[in-house]
Amino acid sequence: MEFSEYIKTANVEDVVLRQPLHPPGRGTLCITGHHLLFSDREEGSCQQVLLLLRNIDAIEKSVENLLTCSGLFSNAGLSQSGVCRLSGSSGTITIKCKDLRVLQLDIPGMEECLNIARSIETLSCLDSMSELYPFFYRPSNASLRDQWGLSSLERHYSQMKELHDRWRLSTVNRDFSVCPSYPQAVIVPKSTDDDMLEKVAKFRQGGRFPVLCYYHKKNGMVIMRSSQPLTGANRKRCREDEQLLQAVIDGSDKGYIIDTRSSQQALQARMTGGGLESKSCYSSWKRLQRQMERGKALQESLIKLVEACEDESNNMDRWLSKLENSKWLSHVQTALSTAGLLAECVERDGHSVLVHGSEGTDSTLLISTLAQLIMDPSCRTLEGFLTLLEREWVQAGHPFQQRCAHSAHSHARLQQESPVFLLLLDCVWQLWRQFPLALGFSEALLLRLATEAYASDYGTFLGNNQQERCALGVKENTHCLFQALLRPRERDCYSNPLYEHTELAIWPSVHPQSLQLWRGFFLRWTPQTHHLEEAQEEIRNMVIEWGKLALSSCPAST
Amino acid sequence: MEFAELIKTPRVDGVVLHRPFMPTVEGTLCLTGHHLILSSRQDNTEELWLLHSNIDCIEKRFVGSLGTIIVKCKDLRVIQLDIPGMEECLNIANSIEALSTLDILSLMYPFFYRPMFEVIEDGWKSFLPLDAFKDLETMTDEWRLSEVNKDFIVCPSYPPLVAVPKDIDDDTLRKVASFRHGGRFPVLSYYHKKNGMVMMRSGQPLTGTNGRRCKEDEKLINATLRPGKRGYIIDTRTINVAQQAKARGGGIESEANYPQWRRIHKAVERSNVLQESLIKLVEACNDQSHSMDRWLSKLEASNWQTHVKEILTTACLAAQCIDRGASVLVHGTEGADSTLQVTSLAQIILDPACRTIRGFQSLVEREWLQAGHPFQQRCAQSAYSNSKPRQEAPVFLLFLDCVWQILRQFPCSFEFSESFLVLVFEHSYASQFGTFLGNSTAERAKLSLPEKTVSLWSWVNRPQELERLTNPLYEANSLVIWPSVAPQSLLLWEGVFLRWNRSSKCLDEAYEEMVHIIEYNKELQNKVNSLRRQLAQLETEDPLLQTP
Repeated sequence: MEFSEYIKTANVEDVVLRQPLHPPGRGTLCITGHHLLFSDREEGSCQQVLLLLRNIDAIEKSVENLLTCSGLFSNAGLSQSGVCRLSGSSGTITIKCKDLRVLQLDIPGMEECLNIARSIETLSCLDSMSELYPFFYRPSNASLRDQWGLSSLERHYSQMKELHDRWRLSTVNRDFSVCPSYPQAVIVPKSTDDDMLEKVAKFRQGGRFPVLCYYHKKNGMVIMRSSQPLTGANRKRCREDEQLLQAVIDGSDKGYIIDTRSSQQALQARMTGGGLESKSCYSSWKRLQRQMERGKALQESLIKLVEACEDESNNMDRWLSKLENSKWLSHVQTALSTAGLLAECVERDGHSVLVHGSEGTDSTLLISTLAQLIMDPSCRTLEGFLTLLEREWVQAGHPFQQRCAHSAHSHARLQQESPVFLLLLDCVWQLWRQFPLALGFSEALLLRLATEAYASDYGTFLGNNQQERCALGVKENTHCLFQALLRPRERDCYSNPLYEHTELAIWPSVHPQSLQLWRGFFLRWTPQTHHLEEAQEEIRNMVIEWGKLALSSCPAST
Repeated sequence: MEFAELIKTPRVDGVVLHRPFMPTVEGTLCLTGHHLILSSRQDNTEELWLLHSNIDCIEKRFVGSLGTIIVKCKDLRVIQLDIPGMEECLNIANSIEALSTLDILSLMYPFFYRPMFEVIEDGWKSFLPLDAFKDLETMTDEWRLSEVNKDFIVCPSYPPLVAVPKDIDDDTLRKVASFRHGGRFPVLSYYHKKNGMVMMRSGQPLTGTNGRRCKEDEKLINATLRPGKRGYIIDTRTINVAQQAKARGGGIESEANYPQWRRIHKAVERSNVLQESLIKLVEACNDQSHSMDRWLSKLEASNWQTHVKEILTTACLAAQCIDRGASVLVHGTEGADSTLQVTSLAQIILDPACRTIRGFQSLVEREWLQAGHPFQQRCAQSAYSNSKPRQEAPVFLLFLDCVWQILRQFPCSFEFSESFLVLVFEHSYASQFGTFLGNSTAERAKLSLPEKTVSLWSWVNRPQELERLTNPLYEANSLVIWPSVAPQSLLLWEGVFLRWNRSSKCLDEAYEEMVHIIEYNKELQNKVNSLRRQLAQLETEDPLLQTP
């Protein structure tokens, strides 16, 4: 296929672009296979906007005849010099992006406008993954031979010497046949051999048998994660599964299973082949049911929240009740308090925990990640956090492609979209706000990740799991976002200037009064958020300056 | 009266104090005429010194012979005292109740407080109307300082000196005063240097049902208009409320009699409604339930944020009129509450000087204290009090909240930090200083406050305090700053309302770290500058080093 088939009009002159935080500009619009490019031709300014088409969530077009469009120009807030063209008519395209930005293009010529709109609609949601931009992106400062990714399970295991007594690295999934959504290597108890794992995989949804995700060095307790057991209506059991879990708590009296569904949901899951670990078969495990919202409900919550944020009615009651109605902050609260519970079991009570919901690829990852941030200082550096995301989200098989296909503005029928990763970033931001010194990265990093997960130049978030990435040759043919974020200039930008390492666990307050809307993301394109960003920028510049001066002037006392 | 009469048990041993996010302290509780003191007599634990006047209400409970007193303060803190012995506990509770509600002003603590610091500058003399007028005279000669109110007869709530249009004599002023609520005739509140526009404030006109008019009033406010220009009257009441006021002798400026003025009505809530809103808000903030929905709907039901938005919107409107070249008269009913919120906030938006520490003090002096906001009545009780509200209303707190919203939106444009606003809030409700005592300049003069008490500003304007209250990010910004009033942009002021419900340790540490970085940055920059100077000097001294 050729992209050019989809581009009937590649260039339009005299287009007016309106975008938040900037005055309107007049210039040339170009559409390429992956980008929308606008360049300002006005004297004294050289505004350029390069927008990844993939970032476009929805467009709205309105075409008007010249006769009725005279009002449009006077409303436009542009100077009256706006020439009313005699030839034909004009149209307006409103572009709503996945990073929540809203742009508007006034395009002269009805046909041009319709062509552009059609191209955007098609090119912004291409299905074929190998045609996506990451496969074409070739920055001059990086080579495809550069290291891809930050770490691997193999490396992780070899670095964690403490593990080697009781845990082993299994490559039972080397060809992805045992569990399609797991990476090739996983960490399991030493006493379970690969045959057992294959049997356990058949007993867990999607083959996601329990694997190690976190080892707490202070007391040797662990967090495991998996998917639900497939007990079904006739309460099937699996000895190997029980043995595997028994091996996890070997030597201690009991462990906890945190199930991210309500008891009722878990029981109902039996009807569709799923289920839960019964007390009789898993006698040394205590099950805690903590309902977390998932899938569609989360996506709808996001849609409602974004709608509330864009409400222009200027009514405080309406805003607060819409905010409440969206339930987003409740989801943030639930995620943080469930993660807090998990961390409490491990750090305070000194017990190992198995976490799962249904599939084990969404809420499970959400709380295991947050719990690690709470307990483990090494996850809180810039590098540590990115490595954590790589291990717990990318390699652990969170289906980014499905979940982030559309964002809050899309009119398309919802399929598998769900802002689980965004919810994670929001929760991390809450932690960051409550512990401004404890995290080594800045809000800017969270914002960048929130954008990249939905549309990116890089291959990191492509595909739904490692198997798909291998098939596509992501490693060989795209660049790695995490590596790019750690280059010196980026590192400056995404580090927290106030960071101070602390060994302590950071327990977030989950009182509703302590949680705030993440304005930096949800109200990012409003002027007042912009001022705050400027203040942050100011502090950051000072720190960089400080670093330079300290290097060049006499040795600074610390 | 002797305080001793009210104190049956002056001290109890073995009292345990519980405070939010602090370790419990066991020690001796002492009651004095003005303070509740708990001291553990150990070196490293902090003592508690609480002014009785800071106590809003107490609750007592008994379990066996152990009594517990929960003390709820006007600064919204809640502390708990476990007192062994039922009788002792009852005595202490009775004493606190009596001492915290003393309403004889001359017995208040500021009259007994002697400063332990060196007064560098007497705050009572820092912001005299005469000095403010001297500044005005450098910009315009269209105004004069009138002494018509020197004995507080023409308007009991005005200061002895007020700025009025030059052509208006004192007789006219007396006539106008009889036509305005509480004698509050229109006076100058702000002169906008950039374009010579002015903001005035007053009480409502007393037109009554039969549409009384007062030629002198019309003459006075018209005297502030440039030829051919129109002005705006911003009435902080809705048109309905304003019309209804006629039945009680009040009213509005009719279009017929004031053809050069356009009236705009804005709904800014007042007194009772605001007090109830505060009570609901604080209750929501202290709610221990873990439900997000409950919190958000309680926050909404309190309406507090709506009030913040309305006030800011009205202030923006006033500022906009002035900035675009029209003079403004602001009033509501009495002209001592919502009027002052609007005029003072408009100045913060328009005038960079008000965004400095000293300028803000001057603004509070001019637009609140001298302008006759009845602090004594408004701040008698805060959000916890069970007694029937009388004249209480968090008008000033709302003003501070609005300032905080602007400060948050323009973090580099204010010389002071949030802690300064919190400090001013605390002292407006309970203080060792005399600044916020009384309801008007007349009352303050009668009590001889400047002679008998210390001013809050005397304490603030010392280097060590100023350092603590300065915003490290400040960069003087001479522009008008327009705050966003979209509901999404306004936040709950956590620094006051959630101050005691969260551990601020981490936030404080981060703040200190930031201050440290900025200080160090300045230091290094100075070093670089001085090295550059040295280099330049060497270059001029040594011609060989000069580049050809």
